[in-house]
Parts: sequence; structure tokens; C-alpha cells
Amino acid sequence: MMLRESSKAFGYDVDIRAVTDPSIDPGVPHGSLLVAFSDAVLGRHDVDALRSELVEAIGDSGLLGAAGVIGNFSMMNRIADATGMPVGRGFLAATEDVRKLLGLDRFKHE
Amino acid sequence: MHFIDFSIAVRPDLLAGLRSLWSNLAAPGTWWSGAERVAIAEGARGGTTDLIPSAAAGAARTIYDDITATSRVWVEGVLAGGLMMPAFVEVIGVVSRLAAVDEFTRALGRPLEPLPEALPGSPTREGPPSARPGRSWVPMVGGMSITRALSLVPAESEAQEEIHGPLYLSYGQMADQGFERELTRPQMELVAGRVSAINECFY
Repeated sequence: MMLRESSKAFGYDVDIRAVTDPSIDPGVPHGSLLVAFSDAVLGRHDVDALRSELVEAIGDSGLLGAAGVIGNFSMMNRIADATGMPVGRGFLAATEDVRKLLGLDRFKHE
Repeated sequence: MHFIDFSIAVRPDLLAGLRSLWSNLAAPGTWWSGAERVAIAEGARGGTTDLIPSAAAGAARTIYDDITATSRVWVEGVLAGGLMMPAFVEVIGVVSRLAAVDEFTRALGRPLEPLPEALPGSPTREGPPSARPGRSWVPMVGGMSITRALSLVPAESEAQEEIHGPLYLSYGQMADQGFERELTRPQMELVAGRVSAINECFY
């Protein structure tokens, strides 16, 4: 939702399927690189080459920004999934198309 | 001194947030002493400790390293192992912030920050505020939302909010779809979405 809405604000032609399918170009500047970097960090893969590529593309500050978001959502995902945070019915209804498109319902766990 | 010798410039608010988080980790909490909170962090990282009950160490390790394994039944098992609900919520808070720092650190290519020395003192044991059970696995105060997920232990909610802004956006900034700092808001949301997909987080 936030990706789609913020992309409108920046005039990006975003393809949100890139969130669950890294082979898809997200349509966000340096998006594929940001996705690959996130995958490498959380997958405990060799990150050095991708980190260098990221710094080359968006600078040290871009690396810092990406690291911050990775850190924050590593926290928030754990809070949501350890407390069993439910998704409201209204939000479920409003996001039905996105959940279908990305196949997110497979992440539900009770 | 913690969080020194970064190879890149780190925003002052972020540096202050990281150091504050580490001080908070080391200090007595609401249900656990400082030494126990550091032991929870050690257990989360895979270390062994006799300082905390095995139910707490096991929960810490699962939250840190295998978050997709959680379920209502899992929570019930943790509580059956002897943890009170508010103490469990504090474990979630401590470990989730540790995960934030550790993944941030890995992304920057730094070795994991050594855990802080525990500070002396006793937990406050301030009784939990009135909370109604709902559809979530832990009770929350004032309704269910991700910003209230740890509200059964208000100090944990406050610590979460304190680091949320420096790492990502403050709750107030989240309404600004045109926000831009080191990354544009869509770049931030793309990373957020990908991290959540990797962690298989439905929320």
C-alpha cells in the first residue's frame, strides 16, 4: 500500500510484484539493486559486492538509509509475528487485490 | 562507548538512537533486570545462559532467528513454560530491537556490536495497564495496532517508538508519502516490503 501510494507522489511507474518476485523491475530508481541488497543481507549471503554497487549507485547515505529500513522492518516484523498482530477487516478488504497479486495470504499463520 | 568507528557518516539522531537503545537494553526493565535483559539478547544471538528461564531463552531465540515459526500455539507453549504474559512481551521488545540493530549492522558490513554491560538495579514490576484480550495473541491496551503491540509493557512501546524514527520514519512522518531523506519514500517502502516478504510477515 505504502509503496504504491508513495510511488504516485514521486511519479514512479511502480510494479509492486517486485516485492515478492525479485526478477521483476520495481520501476523505482535503483529498485532492483535495493531488493538484491535486502535479500543478501537477510539471506546471510556475501553482501560486499552488492554493498559496493549500492554505494556506487546511491552513495554512502543511500546505504545508510537502506540499512536503517532493513533494521526497522526486521524489528517490526518480529513484533507483529510474535504478538499475533491481526490485520483489520477493513484493511483486508482494501488490500484484497494486492494480496492476490503478490500471493501474500500464504504468509498468514494462526 | 558503543557504536564507534563507522566507515560512513551516520546521522546524529540515528547514532543517538542506537546508543540509547543499547543503554535501554542494559538497564533494568519492567519485568527483567538489566543482567537478565542482556542474557535475553545473548540467548537470542544463540548463546547459552543460566540467568533466565529456558522458556525465555527459547522464545528469544525463536523471535530472533526463526520468526516464521511463531503461532498462537507457540505463544501458549511459552507461557506454559512459566513466563507471565508481560514478561513475554518484554522479551519480544528486547529481541525485536536487538534484531533491528543486528540487521542494520550486517547491512553496513560491521561486526555485531558487543552487548552492553548490564546495569544494576531491579525491574520496576509496574503492574500492566488494563488490557483486553483480542484477536492478537497478546493483550494490547487501547485497541490493536502495530504501534500498540507492546502496550502491555509501556516502557517497551516507548523504546520501540524511539528507534523507529531514526531507522525509518517517526509515526508522524509516516503520513508523508513525499518524504525523502537518504532514500525516497518509494525506495524505503520497496526495501520495507521486500524485508517483510522475506520474513513472511503477513501484517
